[in-house]
Amino acid sequence: MYKQLAERFGGGLAAGIIAMIAIWLLGMVILPQLLMVDYSFRPNLLPSEIGGPKDSYSLINYETLFNNSIHLSIFFKTIWSSVLVTFLTLLVSYPLAYYLAKVATPKQAALCILLLIIPFWINEILRTFSWYIILAYKGPLNALLLALGWIDRPVRFLSGDGGVMIGMVYAYILFMIFPLYNAIESLDLNQIKAARNLGAGWIRTHYRVIIPHAKPGIATGCIMTFMLAAGSYAVPALLGSPGSRWFTQIIYNWFFEGGNWNQGAAYAFLLLILCIGFIALIMKIFKVGLGDIAK
Amino acid sequence: MSLPGNYSVVNWGEMMDSSVHLDNVVMRFGHFTAVQKTDLKIESGEFFSFLGPSGCGKTTILNMISGFLDPTEGAVHIGGRDMRSVPANKRPTSMIFQNLALFPLMTVAENIEFGLEVRGVKKAERKKASDRLLELVALSGSGKKKVSELSGGQKQRIAIARALAVEPQVLLLDEPLSALDLKLRQHMRAELKEIQRKTGITFIYITHDQGEALTMSDRVAVMSAGKLQQVADPITLYREPATAFAASFVGENNGLKGTVKSVDNGQAVIDCGPLGIFPGKQVGNISVGEQATLFIRPEQISINQSNQSAHIEAKIEEINFEGSYLTLNANTDCDRSLSVQISSEQYTDALVPGARTTLSFRPEDAVIIAGGDHV
Amino acid sequence: MKSETILRWGVRFYIGVFFLYLFTPLIIMGIATFNDSRFPTVSPWKGATLKWFDVLAQDGAMWDALLTSVIVAFGVLVVAVPIGVCCALFLSTVQGRGKSFLYSLMMSPLLTPGVIVGISTLIFWKGLSVSGGMVLTVIAQTTFIAAYVMLMILARLQRFDRTLEHAAQSLGATSWQTFRRVLLPYLKPAIVSAAVIAFLQSFENYNTTLFVKGYDTTLTVYIASKVRTGLTPAVNALGLVMILATVLLAVVYEIKKRSEVRVVKL
Repeated sequence: MYKQLAERFGGGLAAGIIAMIAIWLLGMVILPQLLMVDYSFRPNLLPSEIGGPKDSYSLINYETLFNNSIHLSIFFKTIWSSVLVTFLTLLVSYPLAYYLAKVATPKQAALCILLLIIPFWINEILRTFSWYIILAYKGPLNALLLALGWIDRPVRFLSGDGGVMIGMVYAYILFMIFPLYNAIESLDLNQIKAARNLGAGWIRTHYRVIIPHAKPGIATGCIMTFMLAAGSYAVPALLGSPGSRWFTQIIYNWFFEGGNWNQGAAYAFLLLILCIGFIALIMKIFKVGLGDIAK
Repeated sequence: MSLPGNYSVVNWGEMMDSSVHLDNVVMRFGHFTAVQKTDLKIESGEFFSFLGPSGCGKTTILNMISGFLDPTEGAVHIGGRDMRSVPANKRPTSMIFQNLALFPLMTVAENIEFGLEVRGVKKAERKKASDRLLELVALSGSGKKKVSELSGGQKQRIAIARALAVEPQVLLLDEPLSALDLKLRQHMRAELKEIQRKTGITFIYITHDQGEALTMSDRVAVMSAGKLQQVADPITLYREPATAFAASFVGENNGLKGTVKSVDNGQAVIDCGPLGIFPGKQVGNISVGEQATLFIRPEQISINQSNQSAHIEAKIEEINFEGSYLTLNANTDCDRSLSVQISSEQYTDALVPGARTTLSFRPEDAVIIAGGDHV
Repeated sequence: MKSETILRWGVRFYIGVFFLYLFTPLIIMGIATFNDSRFPTVSPWKGATLKWFDVLAQDGAMWDALLTSVIVAFGVLVVAVPIGVCCALFLSTVQGRGKSFLYSLMMSPLLTPGVIVGISTLIFWKGLSVSGGMVLTVIAQTTFIAAYVMLMILARLQRFDRTLEHAAQSLGATSWQTFRRVLLPYLKPAIVSAAVIAFLQSFENYNTTLFVKGYDTTLTVYIASKVRTGLTPAVNALGLVMILATVLLAVVYEIKKRSEVRVVKL
């Protein structure tokens, strides 16, 4: 590989390129992850005990999770809610992505995309914070619903997982729309017309023609959304209540309140495995490779 | 474009040896042999073309001369120097690419001056050179334009000017006219030939268009499947093809397959089965009983002239009037279609589709070559 | 024909609701800035005021956090952009076994939750006796922002015509001159875009930063802490300023990008 690089860029630049990649991949990606895993299998010890007889590999940090029913239930709640967020985001995004890709005129599509991008440029914390205002007990949403007479007394949106999920769908929707849009956009409009022409209804056309074509986009969107949702700290921290904690918050507590990094590393590794598992599952369901995801 | 008579862009030394020698080069990619063993000398100041269909290895040869590819075996010599250890950017060649490859982010002048700039030539001198070259290609004053503002033909000229700016000993041209429309292409042929004559540098030209090769070149190498078929000047190439491929690829030709019946002192006789038995000139090694092909050009076939020795009975299927001449498609009794070209004066009212006619040719106009399965 | 009309109106209605959903939160947050209420809200409305901008301006911690964010973002930009460019150059040049594995590896930080990137960085550098702070924040953010840069540069590189490099070489340019004069100018717009994105990604990052920030506080972390403790409409004022700044930047960026596309199409 060096030879190919050196042929194109010369020896010096080729060496520089390889060095930069090595620093990044080894020093920032691979070794830190490996060390985190290593950490997760070691007990939490005082500095003086490190390297001593107690410093041996064990599964004790993982056993902690499975013996702690609260943490375990939060773990599964996080999985379930993230799946739900992913599904909701897909549901909300698909019609818009289809509209942008195949229905809208180029001008309309360009305008819509610009409008979509603007909130995306804005800080996730701020976007989440605005939902905090809206969903507050005495906030405008409750005021509106009361005024309309749809409810008798204000709803506590922020005390359950509902607020967190609304905030997450809002925060990660673009990670779903753009992969979907890119995938649908590459479909030849004639295929849709042909399907319609052959007598397929709208639902069948989507189900049999458009969705199969958009598979890589759906897979990418789902993977990104799930990963962001399961790994989110900001949204549950801002919109959640003590009763609706997220797994990331437990991890944070092990690090900065419990002071047990080894325990935190084990939890973090489980979260990572969860995400890898989800990616593998989605890639299997949609029969796409990692190469398709980058698009 | 016309060149000022006393024009000399740079001091291309007439004494300088700018010959190119392909010294038994072979190019393999894995198991695939792109260029079979080739030994060829291109003379100083020659306009030399490689002609062949796509995939025949001609571009590979150009890339070996330019240094983008290293031959698997053998060596390229330019001006007598072994180029094996000389990288592409240090060779006395420059190349005009099929897609021209003008730098889109640079102005016209910056494009032309690029080769001088990377050699550390001062700005003022570069400017002088690009002005002269722009004049050479009749685009004076276009230096500040963007490449995207130029027409196809103008881009072509800038590509030429850019390649000439570095004063190469050998100019390599990789189908540079293929992107142009027909009229411009024919015009540019004349210009290229003119520039070659003025500068006196060696031109090595790659094309699949036999018209380009025949009109511009001093010599042409016909290539097929990585192998040189024939190297000759255009007239020899046309009149005396050396292989069945060369005979069928260069110009229109009729090929009649058969078995060699006799070979005697440069004359051969071929048995084409029901079509008949025909004499012709022997080309290369052929032996009695071998499969061979007789080639006869459309314009060498006469109609209704019984005084010639080789006759074929046929029925006219189609007549196309092309101005000074006519082309006929005639189908022989054993369903072999032949193409015939006659001058307009020979036209008579009797020549109508469906009419029977006798085709004939002189044995000295026909060549008999071994093989020819692809014809 | 009638069902088509219903469908069309249905689509329009959906698009309308969608963009309402997208922009209402931002608008409400903006309006709440001007409400003379101790808490950030729009209901009930207690009269218009600009005092929260004053409160914001006098918030020294906020200005410190802003400075930290800018320093970190510049740090990330300086480190992540070259790494991302190198990766893209590598991927667009080499062929053969191992390439797809390396590509997956380079993509992996984008598929890893941000908290895990932060945690692994924290643990790794603890072993080297480096604790949380601005330096570690730059390192942790670079881990995944470099991958974003890589993708952006790669997208442009894939449209690069490599005969231009051959042309330069044939004209006598060394490989460095070819890179410097032909490839780099071509990549420049993508590099500028990537730098802008890298800066903003760093600026708004929360999940990763939270674990490696040490005692340094970036603006995003500061806002989040304000939301949870001591919430006043001053946070809205800060949010509004940031939104206006980003919208301005986004519009300029998008317009510039579009005009570039137009020039290329010509």
